[in-house]
Amino acid sequence: MLEVRGLAAGYAGSEVLHGVDLTVGEGEGVVVLGPNGHGKTTLLRAITGLVSVRAGQVILAGQDITRWRPDVIAAGGLVHIPQGDLLFPDMTVRENLLMGAYSGPTWAERRTRLGRVYRLFPWLEERAGQLARTLSGGERRMLALGRGLMARARIMLIDEPSLGLAPVVTEQIYANIRTIKEGGMSLLLADENANHVAGLADRVYLLEAGLLVREGPAGELLQDEALLESYLG
Amino acid sequence: MHNTQLVQAVWGGVLFGSVYGLMALGLTLAWGAVRLLNLAHGAIFIIGAYAAYWVVSSLHLTILVALPVGVLTAALFAALLHALFIRPVIGKPGFDNATLVATVGLSIAVSAAALLIFNPEYKVVPPVVPGASIVAGVQITNQGLLVIAASLALFAVVYLFLTYTRQGMAIRAVSQQREAASLMSIPVVRTYGVVITISGALAGVAGVLLSPFFFLNPSSGFNPMIQALIVTIFGGLGSVRGALVAGYVLGLFESFVEVYLGVAWALPGVFLLIIVMLIVRPNGLFGVGEVRRL
Repeated sequence: MLEVRGLAAGYAGSEVLHGVDLTVGEGEGVVVLGPNGHGKTTLLRAITGLVSVRAGQVILAGQDITRWRPDVIAAGGLVHIPQGDLLFPDMTVRENLLMGAYSGPTWAERRTRLGRVYRLFPWLEERAGQLARTLSGGERRMLALGRGLMARARIMLIDEPSLGLAPVVTEQIYANIRTIKEGGMSLLLADENANHVAGLADRVYLLEAGLLVREGPAGELLQDEALLESYLG
Repeated sequence: MHNTQLVQAVWGGVLFGSVYGLMALGLTLAWGAVRLLNLAHGAIFIIGAYAAYWVVSSLHLTILVALPVGVLTAALFAALLHALFIRPVIGKPGFDNATLVATVGLSIAVSAAALLIFNPEYKVVPPVVPGASIVAGVQITNQGLLVIAASLALFAVVYLFLTYTRQGMAIRAVSQQREAASLMSIPVVRTYGVVITISGALAGVAGVLLSPFFFLNPSSGFNPMIQALIVTIFGGLGSVRGALVAGYVLGLFESFVEVYLGVAWALPGVFLLIIVMLIVRPNGLFGVGEVRRL
């Protein structure tokens, strides 16, 4: 579904990723684990075209999408739920969701998708008319997930879904992501806590200082406490 | 006599208010949606007016043909402004300064071009609907009624467009969170172009409809520009509702002062009102400020 080859990327003057290889299969849940500041967010942003790629390739369903514009990549079915949600603050919950389906061709189609997301997250329907900026942290995260689901995604990239949330809310959010995965969605998730991702990760990569240093089945890597301890602290 | 004064004040106020609103609408839209303070708004206004004038005087067609031509010309010019001067700096740190300088420069260039092409004499753009009637001793022009109706209608259309259409919602999305908008597959750069073109078309409508009141010469864009800016700041930069309310508050205030205290007090009165207003609410009536967006 998604293949990343030798990806190098960074910001003015400093390279953050130094040649990363990664694949996500159809319906697979892949988690990139790593401590803060080692390039997880940059990796996702480079894949979606928000950070310019210096070297390497990004291939989505057989098509080379390296250096495409973010909106074109999104229209191609790669949905990125960014760190910090980036909701539209002065739009209602419903309007935020509808923007997620911007690429949907007709209002009928967009409304159908809205109904589907409401069935999955009934809470969003209760708050349909509320402005996004009046929501709590957990509510915002749920809206960001719902907005991502409004697009006809082939693969979803989710950047640290637990960031800034209370433990109870965090559990709820990961339960939601598991539901999305069980629906057959391919997932690439960036996280810094191995405990969060059990049950939704099929395969795990460890990212350190801009390089993927280990890769393996979730069952193996997530059990290896000594290894995780040394990488994630 | 008493009645005549009141009718005069109300009519003048509603007309001034509609004129102010019409001029400010495009300006506030561009600021609210894409944070562009388009100081060439007055230049686009006279481009629309001159295009209409040219259709009437050189092609000898009716103003009903000239009106859409004027609006289209203004919109095209705005689209060109976007392609040449705005598009290259979108998302760059110098956006504000670069666009301010470019739009000021452009409006000087437009005045100079108008001087070369049309000479400095006042031109008369005919009213779309000529004629007038007398109500309680006050002359009510048909063109004035048209301006009032057009202004209200355009505000309604812009509001409905932004609130309910896919394109309008995309414009609000881009104004509130540009990066997320691009992740929703909204083409951000094209959206800037759409907003600036619509804003230009609105300036064109104002130019063609208002020129019969103001006459037209190469520097005719200056006063409407300043007035639009004042109305927009009074209503809150970037707020469409604010521009509408501010237009009528200022128009009615000006007209009542003019009728009851004398013409000499109108301008000082308006500025006093604005100064008081900005002390009480620095972001304007419905200020978008830093937090609230379209």
